[in-house]
Amino acid sequence: MPAGKGRGEPNPGRTCVGKTMAMLCRLREVPRHLLVCEKSNFGHEKSRHRHLVETHYHNYRVSFLIPECGILAKELKDLVMDSGPYYFVKDLPLHELIAHEFINTFVKKGACYALTYNTNIDEDNTVALLPNGKLILSLDKDTYEETGLQGRPSQYSGRKTMKFSAEGSTMMSYFSNYRIQERQPKIALSTVTDLPCPVLRSGELRGEPEAACSAQELFEWLGAVFSNAELNNEPDNFISTYCCPQPSTVVARAYLCTITGFILPEKIRLLLEQLCRYFDEPKLAPWVTLSVQGFADSPVSWRENEHGFRKGGEHLYNFVVFSNRDYWLQLAVGANDDCPP
Amino acid sequence: MPAPAAAYERIVYRNPSEHHYMKVHLEFQDHGIGLNAAQFKQLLISALKDLFGEVDAALPLDILTYEEKTLSAILRICSSGLVKLWSSLTLLGSYKGKKCAFRVIQVSPFLLALSGNSRELVLN
Repeated sequence: MPAGKGRGEPNPGRTCVGKTMAMLCRLREVPRHLLVCEKSNFGHEKSRHRHLVETHYHNYRVSFLIPECGILAKELKDLVMDSGPYYFVKDLPLHELIAHEFINTFVKKGACYALTYNTNIDEDNTVALLPNGKLILSLDKDTYEETGLQGRPSQYSGRKTMKFSAEGSTMMSYFSNYRIQERQPKIALSTVTDLPCPVLRSGELRGEPEAACSAQELFEWLGAVFSNAELNNEPDNFISTYCCPQPSTVVARAYLCTITGFILPEKIRLLLEQLCRYFDEPKLAPWVTLSVQGFADSPVSWRENEHGFRKGGEHLYNFVVFSNRDYWLQLAVGANDDCPP
Repeated sequence: MPAPAAAYERIVYRNPSEHHYMKVHLEFQDHGIGLNAAQFKQLLISALKDLFGEVDAALPLDILTYEEKTLSAILRICSSGLVKLWSSLTLLGSYKGKKCAFRVIQVSPFLLALSGNSRELVLN
């Protein structure tokens, strides 16, 4: 201890080192994120797959991947082409959503979903209508005080343009006084050749050394495929060292489909069921995948769990459907989200 | 004999991703400047070196995708290096004397999340 310094006095040298270490630690931190990996079988009575699909309300992107497939079966293609429509209504006053007529025409019949368009959940006021009839308002402080409503502070800190999904021609005539447009989701279909695919064992979520890949590795690989990343880099490649997790097999071709828009959980459920039926006849593919990504600016993720943007706004899930009706389900959320149910 | 149906299992991973992924776009004040993938990577490395030094310039960094026409890329960085890479990109102001800036379009610990961006949905 330096001369003249009493025991109770702070040591500036140690304080400086402490602060530097704290700063260095902060530089290495990332926002919290969660990945839930489940395995089960569609035949299990208590399987939660249907509930999890149906309670993820605001879906922006749905993709599936079928290894060893060059042409899409008619039933599946028909479902893909029938994934819309949704409706885009400009400058809709919010009081229209709580009008008796609207509630009787759409909300009480169930399955009416709505979300404000072009509102950032971390900056703007955002409104969502859930199929159970609840209207979720995510408001900044000033707007909240103006409304005089009773709410609760966000866990994580108008006249609006809305996108809707509900019964077809009724929606067009109901909002005929406003600028309403019917939209169809965008569909992208492609095949890839010589695709390295991870080897999986449905009973081994964590994978097995040198025998099967884990659910986490599969999840990253799927992202690489849909981003069109190179999957065969050498370890000493300067640009990228990413490669397909091992063990893997190369499939001659694989079918990829991506649907983007405002997509109903009901449509996703039908797609999932059809993908399960893919294995009713013997197929070369050992598994197929179905991934769903929610709107980054939806105020809810699953059910009424609050969703926030933080750095990415991600809330997504992915099914891996095996030929024996086993399935894996990965649910991923970012920092401003509760753990998926 | 077919294998029995998988028993239910649930695992919750907290901060499982060893890597973070960034979708970025390099914008020049003047048009007509091109970089190939190797030059792009070299630019990222020198940005890290300028701000954090030689050691952090060697952080494991991959360019998973690169489009020369639009100067857009998806990067993969070890999670502990995300803040350093992001701040290096923010403070990069020029390349070979030409003014430029990185735009960070999306960031996520999940690569699958970068294959779609709902904020890019255009309905107007």
